[in-house]
Amino acid sequence: MALQSTVVGSYPKPPEEGGSFALRKTLQAWQRGEVGEAELAGARRDLAREIIAEQEAAGIDLVTDGHVWWDDILTPFAGNMAGFEIGGLLRWFDNNVYYRRPVCVDEIEWRGPSSIEAWRFAQSVAGGPVKAVIPGPVTFARLSVDEHYGDHGRFVEAIASVLAQEAFELEAAGARFIQIDEPALLGAPEDLELAKRAIGQVSGQLEAATTILCTYFGDAKRLGAELFELPVDSFGLDFVAGPDNRELIASLPAGLGLQAGVVDARNTRLETTDEVAATIDDLASGVGADNLTVSPSAGLEFLPRDKAKAKLERLAQAAARVQG
Amino acid sequence: MRGGDVTPVDLPGPGLWTTSVGSLPKPDYISSGRSRRARGEIDKAELVELERRATREWIEFQDSIGTDVLVDGEQYRGDMVAFFAEALPGLELGGLVRSYGNRYYRKPIATGAVGRDDAVTVEWWQYAQSLTNKPVKGMLTGPYTICDWSFNEHYASRRDFVLDLAKVIRDEALELERAGCRFIQIDEPAASTRMDELDLVIEGMEVVTEPLGAHTITHICYGDFHRAYPKMLDIPVDQIDLEFANSDFSLLDDFAANPFTKYIGLGISDAHSHDVEPVEGLAHGIRRSLEYLLPERTFVDPDCGLKTRSVDEAKGKLSNIAKAVEIVRGEL
Repeated sequence: MALQSTVVGSYPKPPEEGGSFALRKTLQAWQRGEVGEAELAGARRDLAREIIAEQEAAGIDLVTDGHVWWDDILTPFAGNMAGFEIGGLLRWFDNNVYYRRPVCVDEIEWRGPSSIEAWRFAQSVAGGPVKAVIPGPVTFARLSVDEHYGDHGRFVEAIASVLAQEAFELEAAGARFIQIDEPALLGAPEDLELAKRAIGQVSGQLEAATTILCTYFGDAKRLGAELFELPVDSFGLDFVAGPDNRELIASLPAGLGLQAGVVDARNTRLETTDEVAATIDDLASGVGADNLTVSPSAGLEFLPRDKAKAKLERLAQAAARVQG
Repeated sequence: MRGGDVTPVDLPGPGLWTTSVGSLPKPDYISSGRSRRARGEIDKAELVELERRATREWIEFQDSIGTDVLVDGEQYRGDMVAFFAEALPGLELGGLVRSYGNRYYRKPIATGAVGRDDAVTVEWWQYAQSLTNKPVKGMLTGPYTICDWSFNEHYASRRDFVLDLAKVIRDEALELERAGCRFIQIDEPAASTRMDELDLVIEGMEVVTEPLGAHTITHICYGDFHRAYPKMLDIPVDQIDLEFANSDFSLLDDFAANPFTKYIGLGISDAHSHDVEPVEGLAHGIRRSLEYLLPERTFVDPDCGLKTRSVDEAKGKLSNIAKAVEIVRGEL
């Protein structure tokens, strides 16, 4: 397969300057009880449709729903499992963005799919495949509070069993690409063995879907080449916040894919197409263009809409140029 | 001034002074005034008149409960970074980005070298100070936090960005001092975000506070204090203001191992909860803290700015803090 382009997941929800921010207004009206669930769902679908079209117009091969249904990657899942309550606001890694911390107070159980409906809608309006995104079990556990299991390993495995069910349902619904986000693993090399088992629980449920283990906000130096022993098809690495990942990819085993974050998803400065093409060219010569997918360094929601769009256009142009 | 030294405060009494962290809620007439201003129904001067009225009311309220060091309540500010970004050359307000839930803000962008044309805060400080005989704090946002909460399209490194901002904030602080301000707070809520950049926080603050004779304060919140302590004591200010209620006073354990060496702003009321905590519970929090802290080095306040509370909640919290302090002062 040729060099591909994708996004990591989230996309800015606000419109470009001067546009009407329908989702925010509908959410406010919904909070005041002035509109119902159906109208809110309609506003989310409208925005998802718009965002998918925008990614496609920019030239991105593998799109997402932009996380239009989510405020963060944990709450939609934790809120839908038995055993979790949703706690207070906490900083999302080193960003001036906050997530609600899940608190585990009882045995964790699957209560039905959390992301299938949104994925199905996104797929129905997209021209190509839509990537499904789920949180990884280690990141989920590390960003939550465990007041029930009292044992990190058991807590991670309990979360993994529910995420495994989610992945199974996503594939059954037709998802061909499933990305498992594990940014917290970068700072937790002691969890690597546990991650192998827990990620294995998830990817072991899948027949044919391509799995991507995605990290961002730093390098995987502390995990080293052992990262590539995690049982997935492809690895997402951030080459903006983690320039040292360059050295690591020399040990990427043949046959595994690399999803490389090459434009900065957290700063408005626009990289030139030349600059991005040079980075992609360099990575392609290392791992082979056929094994390479390029992306922004993280979810694009950290940027204003116009900048996110411009970055995707340049990314796709640069990928096309390298592809020749 | 170096990390460990402190400039003593010149205030009456045995200590345990009361203050506020900075922002206070805006009355409804400010929000409606802003909407009317956005629709062009009133002019800038009319909006400013409403902001002055709200400032006056908050000063009167703080005086009425006997607050020792007052704040102006920031009735004229939206966001603590955007307020400076709008005023400083080199910074622009960018497009909307989400902070959490359905909340969005305009994140500033450094598009050139940051400088300063005119004073940003002095006029408001002078107005607030003219309304009371007690000292009013000058309120600035720290260079590290402005850098961390902005995009950077200009500077080659975060350090370059922070150090340019530090000179600007220093000049603003000097102008406040020349106007007569004796308490200058330089907030660094982002300071506890990245432990590997705490040295940069310190370096930036050194530039700001080095020439100042005023009592200097910094407020830090929303982070992992246990990892930042005791290194945090190297930040060159006289007072560090911290949240205690929010973490059930767990920092006191760290003080047991490494004594707190500066003046402290002791946040004893949760700024993000609607509850107006009862006086006796607040007094208990102060007593627990005094096992590790000296009253003559302690200011008591809420955990954080109160701008997200209602006017009544904020007044309730500040009144109860004042009553709790009164009780514990009587026991000294």
